[in-house]
Amino acid sequence: MDIGELKKQSEISYDIAVAKRNALEKAHARQVVVYNQHIFRADAETINLVKTLSESQTSPLLMLDMNNNPVEIPDPNEFLKILIERNQEAISSYLQMSKTFEKRGD
Amino acid sequence: MTKGVLLFCFDTPDFQYHKILEKCVALIKKNLRLQITVVTDFETFKNIKPLGFVHYKFIEPELGNKKHGLEWRNVDRHMAYELSPYDTTLVIDIDYFPFTDNLIQFLDTGYDFLISKDAHDLTNRNSFDTKRSSMIDMVWATVFVFKKGKKAKRIFNMVKYVKDYYAYFLDLYRIRDRRFRNDYAFAIALEQANGMITYDTMPMKLPTLPLDCRVLQMDEQGLAWQYNDQVNYTRGQDVHVLNKEVANV
Repeated sequence: MDIGELKKQSEISYDIAVAKRNALEKAHARQVVVYNQHIFRADAETINLVKTLSESQTSPLLMLDMNNNPVEIPDPNEFLKILIERNQEAISSYLQMSKTFEKRGD
Repeated sequence: MTKGVLLFCFDTPDFQYHKILEKCVALIKKNLRLQITVVTDFETFKNIKPLGFVHYKFIEPELGNKKHGLEWRNVDRHMAYELSPYDTTLVIDIDYFPFTDNLIQFLDTGYDFLISKDAHDLTNRNSFDTKRSSMIDMVWATVFVFKKGKKAKRIFNMVKYVKDYYAYFLDLYRIRDRRFRNDYAFAIALEQANGMITYDTMPMKLPTLPLDCRVLQMDEQGLAWQYNDQVNYTRGQDVHVLNKEVANV
């Protein structure tokens, strides 16, 4: 066992873990969306809720923003489009960053 | 409805804060594209290089506050309401570098006052999540948004009141740090002004580099830092830098 090599790999793993956590926080920050004067997060839960509600009832739909204030969404399809765009933009950036982690870990 | 950014900048005998301001203004212009007003004094203004279209408001900063034994001119934030020429104002510390346009959307909400309760330690040590002894949630007055009106005015009036009786409120809420910090003053004022229950917040963690991190390099995309023997970097992510040596990078 080469303890020097193990130490080096451990340090690389630590650097990757820090970078990964920061990239995830960056993605979370990018997922925050202001729509109709309220604040939402374009995450899986919000997207699923908007899609489910929009399929099961006619507009407008009612939901809670990130401060738990009730909001009326007059055009759910427009809102869903914005949420999906922002979600994919954030995850795409995270994906690009994660590819650099793989290279560093090789 | 006018919108803009309000910055406070005062050089001290120990730090050339105007150099940090220059970096921050360049990023605001590039990424947020909002009007900017800088609150400063004549001594600092003389040192600031030409920054293009920027408004200035001159005040004499209140002295007497110290951080780690050094002069700390941070006491005037309670005047943001009166000093801002905008209907909706984004106040940011000059050591918060907006490498993204993430903040701009918060000027378009229906909220009268938004501030963040959380910070993200970019070194992954969770150094801002220490167990607190105080009885109220803390906020980060590093970034906040307010819309002029009765509610925001009431909050700022409360901040002034808290500032006047600061020692009393520190004891009341069991806050052990005796320095005047805007974070505490706003946390206390928001608690008081909102009926000691809860209030709306800006739901984001401010990415923050702790004091013991040295910024090695900075460009318009991001920055690299060193902590002990670890070097790391971030790009396309806002960063609040606590080490004021960033002025010389």
